Amino acid sequence: MNTLEAQPVVHNTLVIERNYPVPPERVFAAFADSAKKRRWFVEGENNQIEGYALDFRVGGREHYALGFNEGHPLAGHRLSSENVYRNIVPNRRIIFTSTMALAEKIFSVSLGTVELVPAEKGTDLILTFQSAFLEGADGPEMREAGWRKLLDKLAAEVSL
Amino acid sequence: MNKRTFDIDRIFHALGDPTRRAMVEKLSQGPVSVSRLAEPFGITLAAVVQHLQVLEECGLVQTEKLGRVRTCSIDPAGLSAAAQWLADRRSLWERRLDRLGDLLAEPDDGR
Repeated sequence: MNTLEAQPVVHNTLVIERNYPVPPERVFAAFADSAKKRRWFVEGENNQIEGYALDFRVGGREHYALGFNEGHPLAGHRLSSENVYRNIVPNRRIIFTSTMALAEKIFSVSLGTVELVPAEKGTDLILTFQSAFLEGADGPEMREAGWRKLLDKLAAEVSL
Repeated sequence: MNKRTFDIDRIFHALGDPTRRAMVEKLSQGPVSVSRLAEPFGITLAAVVQHLQVLEECGLVQTEKLGRVRTCSIDPAGLSAAAQWLADRRSLWERRLDRLGDLLAEPDDGR
């Protein structure tokens, strides 16, 4: 366990592109509508949601807190996240800043950009998520990075 | 169904060794005897037995003695535990956008 106060910050940029066979208006609504957003954004098989709120407007906040089931690497800890919406162009673009904290200690600060591009078949969604990982991010995150090489090799085997 | 718990550290430790991975690949094609399994690896039977022990202890492989022949096969439960762990590690956002796709695939509620 490393208990140094200030470790080097690890930066990471994640870009994911998806196509959804529906118009941008519907994709945008899944971001803007609190009930819809909660369903795909925070509900997961392994989590208990301890709180969710969305105020979807520029300057508005979104917050959630999660507990994890037995067997999950984060079982027994509380994960919370807060987003602030910085730029919204209806049906086209959403930019937000985001923090994640484990047991109230922030371990990542991020800038998220969602672009919705009308496509021949529905909507292309481009997510760019730029993060600074701080101390305490070395649980699941670093472990994931460490395993990545191995996982690449394993992917073929486990997909049998 | 049996309630079994898997030590994911041990599973990935076991799979971290190229010989053991090759053994798992071989066994994925079907059960074989220990001596048949040893053939392509050019290592002693004793070494193969040791590798097998590691794979068996973490739940990836099961062995069964039939008469004088010990047969080994993949233990699907161990592999599923590993697959589940891998699925859980997929980027948070990948999983979120999968779920968004599921939601958008439902009939529009008019909003």
